[in-house]
Amino acid sequence: MLDTIMQTKLFAWVDRRTGAADIIKSQLTEYPVPKNLNYMWNFGSLALLVLVLQIVTGIFLAMYYKPSAALTYGGYTVAFDSVERIMRDVNFGWLIRYMHAVGASAFFVVVYMHIGRGLYYGSYKEPRELLWIIGVVILLIMQGSAFFGYLLPWGQMSFWGATVITELFGALPIIGEYLQQLLRGGFAVGDPTLNRFFSLHYLFPLLLAAIVGGHVHALHVVHSNNPEGIDVHSDDQKINFHPYYTIKDAFGVGVFLTIYCYVVFFNPQMAGYFIEVDNYVPANNLQTPAHIAPVWYLTPWYTILRSFESKLLGVIAMGGSLAILFVLPFLDRSKVRSGRYRPMFRLMVVMFFVDVIVLGYCGHSAPSETLKLVGQIATAYYFAFFLLLPFLPMVEKTKPEPEGI
Amino acid sequence: MKKYSLIAAGMFLALAMPGFASANEEHGPALKHAEIDLTDQEQIRRGLTVFTDVCMGCHSAKYVTYKGLMDYPEIGITREQVDELRGSNPLTAGLITELTPEDAKVSYGKVPPDLSLIVNGRRGGASYVYSLMTGFEHDDSGKVPDGNFNEYFPGKRIAMPDPFSWLGHDEADTKQLEQDAADVAAFLAFISDPHQNERQAIGKWVVGFLILLTLVLWRLKVEVWKDVKH
Repeated sequence: MLDTIMQTKLFAWVDRRTGAADIIKSQLTEYPVPKNLNYMWNFGSLALLVLVLQIVTGIFLAMYYKPSAALTYGGYTVAFDSVERIMRDVNFGWLIRYMHAVGASAFFVVVYMHIGRGLYYGSYKEPRELLWIIGVVILLIMQGSAFFGYLLPWGQMSFWGATVITELFGALPIIGEYLQQLLRGGFAVGDPTLNRFFSLHYLFPLLLAAIVGGHVHALHVVHSNNPEGIDVHSDDQKINFHPYYTIKDAFGVGVFLTIYCYVVFFNPQMAGYFIEVDNYVPANNLQTPAHIAPVWYLTPWYTILRSFESKLLGVIAMGGSLAILFVLPFLDRSKVRSGRYRPMFRLMVVMFFVDVIVLGYCGHSAPSETLKLVGQIATAYYFAFFLLLPFLPMVEKTKPEPEGI
Repeated sequence: MKKYSLIAAGMFLALAMPGFASANEEHGPALKHAEIDLTDQEQIRRGLTVFTDVCMGCHSAKYVTYKGLMDYPEIGITREQVDELRGSNPLTAGLITELTPEDAKVSYGKVPPDLSLIVNGRRGGASYVYSLMTGFEHDDSGKVPDGNFNEYFPGKRIAMPDPFSWLGHDEADTKQLEQDAADVAAFLAFISDPHQNERQAIGKWVVGFLILLTLVLWRLKVEVWKDVKH
């Protein structure tokens, strides 16, 4: 089909003015990809798909959503009312809103799988350091965007979540108080906060779209890693992106959409994990919910924050736990990329995955002494994993890597 | 294969595990299960009657309009019935109680919450509503006056006085009161998300189509990849 289009006169006209044929060749039909990528490599294209879904559904939601904390009858607000109007009165508003809310969680599921794959197979190593670093920037912007978006319905969790998180910035020395007021647009979370969060929630995805462009560009310069983690030189070990990986990605999209739509249509709140129960209660600054927890995808970092008695240390640790991802490519000194040929690293990285799940569990649950201790141990391992990497090659005996794939 | 399936399982565990947490967070007795059927028009209509006769004395459901009572097929009462219910209120008005917030504060110490989203906004949903309606008891410790003691309510002291007069009701009435409580729970569950039946009906087609599409894409993938040697 692509060939047919490329032979038309119209295409020739466009090609002469844009070089479209060369782009298609170099980026798709003759873009070489190792032939042995497994299904863990599907999550990158899925993340792109979810980004597009979020932007499109978000644009439609913004046509009806009103960012105002002005009170209406019954302790509700204009913002909360407008979300309920979308859910009840706007044609298929419920579909668009649930797609967006479930999409936020789906985005993080997909991206965490994508990052986990990169970790396990050493995709962050030379020459892909910058590709990884751009990815970390994407992760941070995603988390910010999700946080801003969660305020918009102006429910109890929106309000108290934003209060807790903006308070964190207040813990920083010297600039803290100023930063907190700047974020809130005042001394407490209120109408100005809602307005600026809405503005930023619209801005961040635009940044995402641009930086994702950079991520894909960087990928197409250094090319894909592969499960064996070795450089692939000979042509018979590579296949063209199109049609091989376009069809494989399309199949992945089919599987993803089936699961995603199942959740959207049959279980959009996911028993309080995708849309928290407390967020169906309108924001009330006089009534703190019994237990404030962020949505599941932010809970691991919330646990790291809570693991320290001093708020400042907690904030530094939480910031550090994300910042350390930036230097991962330089911490890991091993020449061998893939976890397949690094027995000790493989054990450590699988433990790291479990560790992040434990952190998430602790952050989601109501605080208790036991969970606090578990959270602290998990926090310690989180940092230990990264800090041990530079020394690992001294003791690790790697397995011989294969010649080809 | 084993390796990354392990990773995949782990990542999905991250989603599933908090489930155990919320089960532990619940305090108080286990909720009584509410027998509700959101496709049962009769039950939802009975629930509407309970709502307008009992609940609406103090509570509103501002997101549900009188027009909605006609338009949602799950309720679908006639224009005449709606006119009788709404009195001089416009068709597009929400179901708003006549009790003013000021009077409510004087009588009960607080403003009764709006019930439009009560089932989505409470852990346990419809079963919580049902349990609460049939959960008024005598406080053996004598601290809470009769009519305000409800062991399903957090803190067990509830400002809402026993709406169905459950406490000290006749044994013969139990069945009827339980039915009323289940009916109103069904109505409230319906109005929490009035498009849920439509959503699930459409969802069957969407997911069915996607499964077929995915099967086709899988066969295509196998076909395209046939000539790739490993």
